[in-house]
Amino acid sequence: MKISSMKYLFGQGVKNVWTNRIMTFASFCVILVSLLLVGSMMLFTANVNRFISGIESKNEVVVYLNDGVTDETVSQMETDIKKLDNVAEVVFYSKEQAFEDYKKSMENAEEIFESIGDESPLPDAFKIRVKDISKMTSTIAQINKMQNIYKVSAPNDFADLLIGIKSTVGMISTAVIAALGIVCLVIISNATRASVFARRKEINIMKYVGATNTFIRIPFFVEGMVTGMLAGVAAAGLTWFGYEKFIEALSKQMTLWKAFGIDEFIPFDSVVVKVVLGYVGAGALLGAIGTVISTRKHLKV
Amino acid sequence: MVEFKNVSVTYSNGVDALNNVSLKINDGEFAFIVGPSGAGKSTLIKLILKEVDMTSGEVIVNGFNLHKIKRGKVPKLRRTIGVVFQDFRLIPTMTVYENVAFVLRVIDAPKKYIRSRVPYVISLVGLKDKVKCYPSELSGGEQQRVALARALVNDPALIIADEPTGNIDPELSYQIVQLLKDINNCGTTVLMVTHAQELVEHFGGRTIVLNNGSIVFDKVLGGANED
Repeated sequence: MKISSMKYLFGQGVKNVWTNRIMTFASFCVILVSLLLVGSMMLFTANVNRFISGIESKNEVVVYLNDGVTDETVSQMETDIKKLDNVAEVVFYSKEQAFEDYKKSMENAEEIFESIGDESPLPDAFKIRVKDISKMTSTIAQINKMQNIYKVSAPNDFADLLIGIKSTVGMISTAVIAALGIVCLVIISNATRASVFARRKEINIMKYVGATNTFIRIPFFVEGMVTGMLAGVAAAGLTWFGYEKFIEALSKQMTLWKAFGIDEFIPFDSVVVKVVLGYVGAGALLGAIGTVISTRKHLKV
Repeated sequence: MVEFKNVSVTYSNGVDALNNVSLKINDGEFAFIVGPSGAGKSTLIKLILKEVDMTSGEVIVNGFNLHKIKRGKVPKLRRTIGVVFQDFRLIPTMTVYENVAFVLRVIDAPKKYIRSRVPYVISLVGLKDKVKCYPSELSGGEQQRVALARALVNDPALIIADEPTGNIDPELSYQIVQLLKDINNCGTTVLMVTHAQELVEHFGGRTIVLNNGSIVFDKVLGGANED
């Protein structure tokens, strides 16, 4: 197809956005609402994931060692543990250090410690941070297989809870996004079907004079895409405004959120490019696919 | 050239629209197709345009064998045929010029050619001063002439006119048929379906009568246009 023809067809598509403004407005609203719902769902999910990973990064597995292990064994064990896939960080926590910290934490009990003497009764230990909290159990099992381990203490229940929350939120948001996507496509293809139906005579004549399906489709395609992109821009603007206001309101209760381990919400600035591109892209895609579905039937002449 | 070889069409509801029809229309011919409603005239035209498929037999139009033609090639076939309908089928949101130019855009003609060809064809049908009018501002006869210009503009080998005078005042009908005759004289094959007995009698020429899906009469009448 010639460039001049493409230009003409694109021009027709853009012109049709205005010519069919009532239908365009209907599709625009449907895409806008769907994008807003999906977008807020995604922002919510992103925030939840952020809180969870914030909490995750504070996880700590403590590995207590048997009494009387030599320094060489300790350094050997440290390298062995570091080699494990899921281990992010290993810190040796000597029994002397542990005893000092313990003493400090019990300031008014000097007498008791005097009777124990200077020799630390506590075991040497490694403090380990894992990368992925959901794989913690298998990591612990691997460590347990090593020699000279006295005991491994890990926040297992807590890890399970976090994993549970994460997968539930993930599942719900995926389901909501998928459902909204389908609903959106159905409504848009119906809305454009009406505008295609209004122009069925035009399409019919085009078929008679030998227009290819692509030729007939391009203006509709462009029209859907432009409508979707406009809706995407509007949705991005609304989300920006709404999100900022919402976070502002929530941030007034920051002490409450801190109690839950939530330090900070995702600032909109950090995701603005993703949100705008996502909205505009998804809008264009929805609009375009919607029109393709609805023109299909009328092209069979 | 249009050739039908033992063509039958049975619709999915069991109606036999055409029954073992054989017909040959040579290049440069002018033929009337007449017959009562339901005789199979529309089916005949739809077959040529590849709107319906034959149940059996063979149809060859302008070198395309319609039995073997692929879906993607149908637009190519239709570009060799100009169609005029009873109800004009002009696009109401386009001016006369755009309605005609639109056909050339569809076939990807160069801009320069469109700019010279469209005014020429419009002047051929005598609507030079209505170029910027919309279909709603024209009379029935004028609208049909626009439709004729549209059918002509890409210089098709065959023009099919499906009851072109059906919605037009009788006196203007003669004008339209005369235009078709003039087009035919320039070498284009013309097939005209009509109910109007008086037009056939007036102009004469090859006349094909269909009844109940079969050709019952196929002769040259009036002696004006003998082959």
